[in-house]
Amino acid sequence: MSSVRDRNESAWLLPADGARTNHRLRHDMRRFDDTDEVDLVVVGCGAGGSTMIQRLARAGWRVVALDAGPFWDPDTDWVSDEAGSHHLYWTEPRVISGSDPVPLGSNNSGRGVGGSMVHYAGYTPRFHPSDFETYTRDGVGADWPIDYADLKPYYEAIEEELPVAGEEWPWGDPHSYPYRPHPVGGNGEIFLRGAEKLGVTAKVGPVAIVNGRFGNRAHCIYRGFCLQGCKVNAKASPLITHIPDALAHGAEVRANAMVTKIEVDERTGRATGVHYVRDGVSRFQRAAMVAVAGYSIETPRLLLNSACDRFPDGIGNDFDQVGRYLMVQGAPQTAGRFDAEVRMYKAPPPEVSTEAFYETDPSKPYQRGFSIQTVSPLPITWAEHIAAQGHWGSDLREYMSDYVHWSCLGALCEFLAQPDNRVTLSDEKDRHGLPVAHFSYSQCDNDTQLMKAAQSVMEDILHAAGADEVITIDRYAHLVGGARMAADEQHGVVDADCRTFAVPNLYITDGSVLPTQGSANPALTIMSVAARAADRLARGARNGA
Amino acid sequence: MSVTSGAAPRRAADGPPERFPGFDVLEQSGHWDAVTSGVVLSRVGMPPDIRFFTPAEQAVATALCDRLLGQPDEDDGTGTRLPLVNLIDARLAEHRTDGWHYHDMPTDAQAWRDTLAALDADAQEQYGTGFATCAHDEQTALIQAVQDLGSDPWHGLPAAHVWSLWTRYACTAFYSHPTAWNEIGFSGPAYPRGYKNIGVDRLEPYEVHDAIPSDDPLRRSR
Repeated sequence: MSSVRDRNESAWLLPADGARTNHRLRHDMRRFDDTDEVDLVVVGCGAGGSTMIQRLARAGWRVVALDAGPFWDPDTDWVSDEAGSHHLYWTEPRVISGSDPVPLGSNNSGRGVGGSMVHYAGYTPRFHPSDFETYTRDGVGADWPIDYADLKPYYEAIEEELPVAGEEWPWGDPHSYPYRPHPVGGNGEIFLRGAEKLGVTAKVGPVAIVNGRFGNRAHCIYRGFCLQGCKVNAKASPLITHIPDALAHGAEVRANAMVTKIEVDERTGRATGVHYVRDGVSRFQRAAMVAVAGYSIETPRLLLNSACDRFPDGIGNDFDQVGRYLMVQGAPQTAGRFDAEVRMYKAPPPEVSTEAFYETDPSKPYQRGFSIQTVSPLPITWAEHIAAQGHWGSDLREYMSDYVHWSCLGALCEFLAQPDNRVTLSDEKDRHGLPVAHFSYSQCDNDTQLMKAAQSVMEDILHAAGADEVITIDRYAHLVGGARMAADEQHGVVDADCRTFAVPNLYITDGSVLPTQGSANPALTIMSVAARAADRLARGARNGA
Repeated sequence: MSVTSGAAPRRAADGPPERFPGFDVLEQSGHWDAVTSGVVLSRVGMPPDIRFFTPAEQAVATALCDRLLGQPDEDDGTGTRLPLVNLIDARLAEHRTDGWHYHDMPTDAQAWRDTLAALDADAQEQYGTGFATCAHDEQTALIQAVQDLGSDPWHGLPAAHVWSLWTRYACTAFYSHPTAWNEIGFSGPAYPRGYKNIGVDRLEPYEVHDAIPSDDPLRRSR
């Protein structure tokens, strides 16, 4: 593989003088007219969308990415503060329901250029080979129309571009990382200590946080506010890992542009561009090809809101597949109390993980598994933990005053894809007058068993490390699925190359195409799937032929 | 709702015993970046005027939030009583909500209005006076009754979702304040300086050890 700088110069296009944004690059960005028929318009500038435009701009395509949120400048727009980071999240109205409704917003929904990777923790594990064939192996979930080997070269490429730091990785397809693991803080120390006593293998990483110097990106300063947007440019997000290179190769990023509808020509059956609203003005960008990358809630919503005569139930929804098989991971967090001061807020929340419980264990009553990672809640999030134990009033204050003594682990449980966990359109409308997403979620028995098993292992690790008390809060993390990849149009929305079955020049290149999720944080896989789709496009015809 | 002016207060009134004596996160504010300073220091100054709640709602919300976070009714002179209702009111007035709402709940803004009215109605029914004018133990009993319902309905809304709404907003307001950080030993913003001493029991020069490290509330409650 060629050197990373030859493939993606983003880190070298950032300023070297301590500022975090190359304003000249943005100022000089190529700008297309709405009437230009660009080669590709991408909807959403997060993990999937940004990777697409960087790859295709490099291949000489004329590309525009529209994002509903701002074009962030970490220096002026982000703060080292929990409550002050509310604007990083997608907080447009949404309705949640089901037997286990999943809160959205701050936990799993990003906004602006960089998408959810602006506020993700920074964990970037690969999926295991088994994740691509859970139905064949375990009789649950679904098989992907591609396998691990198809994605492997893209995993390797993206890991170099972010770049990822971590120990030799023994799980799944064993591999190494381009950068050495970071030193760990109190929380990581506790996890490693407890795991060792218990005989559970735990490793430092894998995190997409610079360890050393990478281009003009600075070394991590261990300030602990990874989830509030990295002001250091140390934690990877597409804003700094792919967008600079895309702009340098002639891509346009049009921020604050909310796409409202994909237009399909009724006669040809092909997409002709997208309607969007910017500064209150309704506009239409012509394009020879459209790629939607709005993530698992907004992508299905846009397809459903784009209903037309040819697609009365929404684009790509002839077989009632749009919005279905949406997944979250069960993410219980278990904390342990130590007389020593852990001060888990110091150092990045992502430090140490284990995938020792990832695969199906035939001796257990459940299928698939879970991973365990350090999570290090800041005070407001920690208060949720304490309040979840039923404490309030002066009682809550006393428990909270104990904050520095707690260590907190989080699990990611592989919840199974189910058809009724889905996005539909609500009767409620947003400020543009468009129906908002209604997201229904219910757990199955296997999901519930995994939550309990993961909690029990986390309790064991913390006790082994010396904790005298443990508490647990049940929560959820991540979103994938909702417009999944499948072998045919009766089982999914897109094919193995992320092309919709219904419209030949309409692609979906984000987390919503994932048929399963493993117990891995999805960012790296979303980028790799998009990179593969872009690669296939760049090698083929531009018009989706 | 008043806030002590002048020197920054070190701890909140009526709070738990002081565990981090001499620790004042605001003493480090000179090391914060300007944008973060602007956001955090704005919470220490004048609280925003009430714009969303009606005076009747404000009265109920004030008593509710003070009980939820163990605050006294009035400043007792030993510290600051945090203006929780002003901070919640600002979020609702400016639509700084999380966006999502449960299908069996109205939007957050309407849910606040509805639940404050319901709490006031409970007080009238049980004690013959409004919630704000009930005694502390009566207010506490009324709040506890909502929590005890779990997922059962309360005035037509799932009590657990009501509880989640109240505690989410009240805890976010309280633990966004530097005075609350002093109480829990949290060092606050750390950019551009970062941390030099990470690891168990390793402190920065300006951090203060817990004076009563074995005072584990869980252990004590057993």
